[in-house]
Amino acid sequence: MKEKVVLASSLCKEYQIGDLTIEALKNLNLEVVKGEFLSIYGPSGAGKTTLLSLIGGLDKPTSGKVVVFGHDLATYDEDFLATFRCAYVGFVFQSFNLISTLTAMENVAFPVELAGWSRERIEKRSENLLKLVRLRHRANHFPAQLSGGEQQRVAFARALANDPPLLLVDEPTGNLDMETGLEVVRILKKMKAKGKTVIVATHDERILELSNRTLRLYDGRIMDPDE
Amino acid sequence: MMGGSWTQMSEIAFPIKDLARRKFQTGLAVLGLTICASATLFLVIFGSNLGFEIALITVGGRLTSGFSNVFSRFILVVGLLNILAGALVTSFLVYLTMSERVRDIGVMKAAGCLSGSILGYFITELSILVFISCIAGTIFGILTHFVCTTLLNVLGFSVSQTLNLWTILFIFLVLILASHIFGALPIIKAAKVKPAEALSPLYSLGTTFELGKGVPSKLGFTLKMAYRSLARRKSATRQAIICLAVVLTLTTVTIAGGLIASRTTKNYVERAIGRDVVLIGHPDLTGRYENLLSQFFEAKEMGSIDYLDPEFLISESLTSKLSSISGVQEVDSRLVLEASVQEIPGIIPNPDDPNEALVVGDKRFDNALILGVQPERVVNEWLIMGRPLDKNDRYSTIIGDSLALEMFDNPQKQEIGIFKESFKVVGVCLDPLNNGKVVYMPLVTLSAKLGKSDYNLLFLKIDPSDRSRILAEIWNEISGTGFELSELNEILGKHVSFLDHVWSFVMFLPLFSLATATLCLLSYLMLSVAGQQREFGIMRALGAKPRNVMKIVFTQALIVTLISGVIGISVGLFVTFAFLIPEPVISQNTLVSVAGWLLLSLIFLCLSSLYPALKAVKKSAVSAMYSV
Repeated sequence: MKEKVVLASSLCKEYQIGDLTIEALKNLNLEVVKGEFLSIYGPSGAGKTTLLSLIGGLDKPTSGKVVVFGHDLATYDEDFLATFRCAYVGFVFQSFNLISTLTAMENVAFPVELAGWSRERIEKRSENLLKLVRLRHRANHFPAQLSGGEQQRVAFARALANDPPLLLVDEPTGNLDMETGLEVVRILKKMKAKGKTVIVATHDERILELSNRTLRLYDGRIMDPDE
Repeated sequence: MMGGSWTQMSEIAFPIKDLARRKFQTGLAVLGLTICASATLFLVIFGSNLGFEIALITVGGRLTSGFSNVFSRFILVVGLLNILAGALVTSFLVYLTMSERVRDIGVMKAAGCLSGSILGYFITELSILVFISCIAGTIFGILTHFVCTTLLNVLGFSVSQTLNLWTILFIFLVLILASHIFGALPIIKAAKVKPAEALSPLYSLGTTFELGKGVPSKLGFTLKMAYRSLARRKSATRQAIICLAVVLTLTTVTIAGGLIASRTTKNYVERAIGRDVVLIGHPDLTGRYENLLSQFFEAKEMGSIDYLDPEFLISESLTSKLSSISGVQEVDSRLVLEASVQEIPGIIPNPDDPNEALVVGDKRFDNALILGVQPERVVNEWLIMGRPLDKNDRYSTIIGDSLALEMFDNPQKQEIGIFKESFKVVGVCLDPLNNGKVVYMPLVTLSAKLGKSDYNLLFLKIDPSDRSRILAEIWNEISGTGFELSELNEILGKHVSFLDHVWSFVMFLPLFSLATATLCLLSYLMLSVAGQQREFGIMRALGAKPRNVMKIVFTQALIVTLISGVIGISVGLFVTFAFLIPEPVISQNTLVSVAGWLLLSLIFLCLSSLYPALKAVKKSAVSAMYSV
């Protein structure tokens, strides 16, 4: 039996906006095993980004549990969660979220600098990752000097910097054209081949086809695909 | 035609609605500007009232011209720096506030709004912000002044609460004008930005994409992140540094200038009166002499006295006996009297035409205390100009600072008339005796003029380590002669404590300039943190701990504070030494105090950045990341 990487039970998340309470996730249960490639799809506002945030320890549930690599994330403080994210999780965001004041190379090196790696090791690792996403020649460029597709590939390289066992990818092709999106799909294929556990929020058919399993999220609940 | 609320978007309605919609930003800007305006106004009216208080002391004839010159120059320089700092900080806050609006301007332009209309909207917003803040700041500044002066008066000081309406109006107008000029600049600049640029998520006014050029990326992680963020907001960072540097110049001038001027004035008094000096003479004359010295801090009415009364004269034999007492290091015998003195014009070569001569000075009269001294035995070391008297001098004098400043145009090129004879002025001394209206001349000349060979006052410098025995022996020698002994150390102590009292008023000012500097740094950091919130969220999502983010904000504050500190402190010290205090007296203790206070100010400034640093990590990583 494969190791359970993510175990979410009765997961609820509410947001308070003034007097208005928005239920982003409603009593959600989910299991993800090691090496699984899971795609989550659903309309905008269904709760996909919220679910990824809770699994990544970026936010805490209103109720319910989310256990990732055996850690019940709701019970830990911010410092532990930061260390946890640095060691276990690689994030790729829809809007790339590169740090504008750092070059492509420095963005990739960011998580390993936090982890306290040596200078030589950081440089070697960053170079290898930029080669992997075919951007070695853009190492010294700032995000503003890169195209959307290039920024997304840098974001992938950064997510892989610490060699995290879990990748959380939010709409990776949402802001890209068909051609550029293909490059992202190629990288995701490589991740799958490497045996990484990947959870992707996406609508992209090419990514859905890559998945071991797909889930449809609607109004904060996991729905039957046919429903 | 568009209906509903669009029809109400007039030149006034839009800015008001816009300000009301952005409650937090508007509140922050109004608060910052209000505090800045009130701090500037407070500093200027409080400083001018301190200056007024000091001027009163001077007008009352209690301070010598040399001393009041030091005080008035100090207040003038501090006052001017206050106005400059206030105008700069206010403008800087307006600049930051308006720089934030560049994206809105882009949106409006993209929607088809004309540049002229945009300028109109935002200039109106600027005017609303500036007027509200300056009016509130004026009210708070006046209230703070009343609270502080009342508190000081309760504590035993005597600071006037007078308000000079013209000063208030002047400061108000300077702040309004400076804010409009500096605030309009980013608006005009932003109105020229292309809509596509303005709408880009990476664009904001004053940012640069030439990040860290020439800066090795191997700098420490925190330092690199902090440096890059500052470099990106190059224009705002540069303005923050200029503002802080000016405010820190002000802080340095008030701290260093205040401490050094205090030490200098006290040192002059100590040298003028002399340490461990005792006065021997007839009780009427020693009392008179003490009164003349005490006018410095306590003006007393004095009747006329005949200085040459035979009872007052001290014989050469008593002087010899006293000088032979072991432990008496110096005997300075003097013949003292009051007389009328006259300025005698001098002739100097015309600098434009060496063949011509120019007349300097007039024929002004005044009363002065004339002291006949033996030049080689004078116990005072109080010269501020020229040379001391020489034992071969016959028709040379040293005059007091008040006499030199009030009666002469160029004392060293003129002569002084005493007893219808002309005397050369070879030096000027800073002397609290008779408020600086004194003339020191060779005893031998004065004795010959008056036909007296005796003295009427003796100044004995004694060994402080064997004080009581020496005093007992002196008392023993003078008993039965009708003379008495008076210790000048007591009067010296009163002088020093009076100067401490006056300077303690002035040393109140650095606190407020430091508060202004803190406000300036806080405003910059708060707006900077608000601009970096999303990136801090990303960093935390990638594994940065809250303390990593706090370190980055703290390092930003440290860099800005250190750069502006180096500039501000250097300029402040230059102003202090070049313009503020002529011939400053700097002891090791003063240097340590100045360095200590300046260091404490910088530490305080850096520590104040903890608040924006805490603000930077208050939001959760996810809400920071998605904040706009």
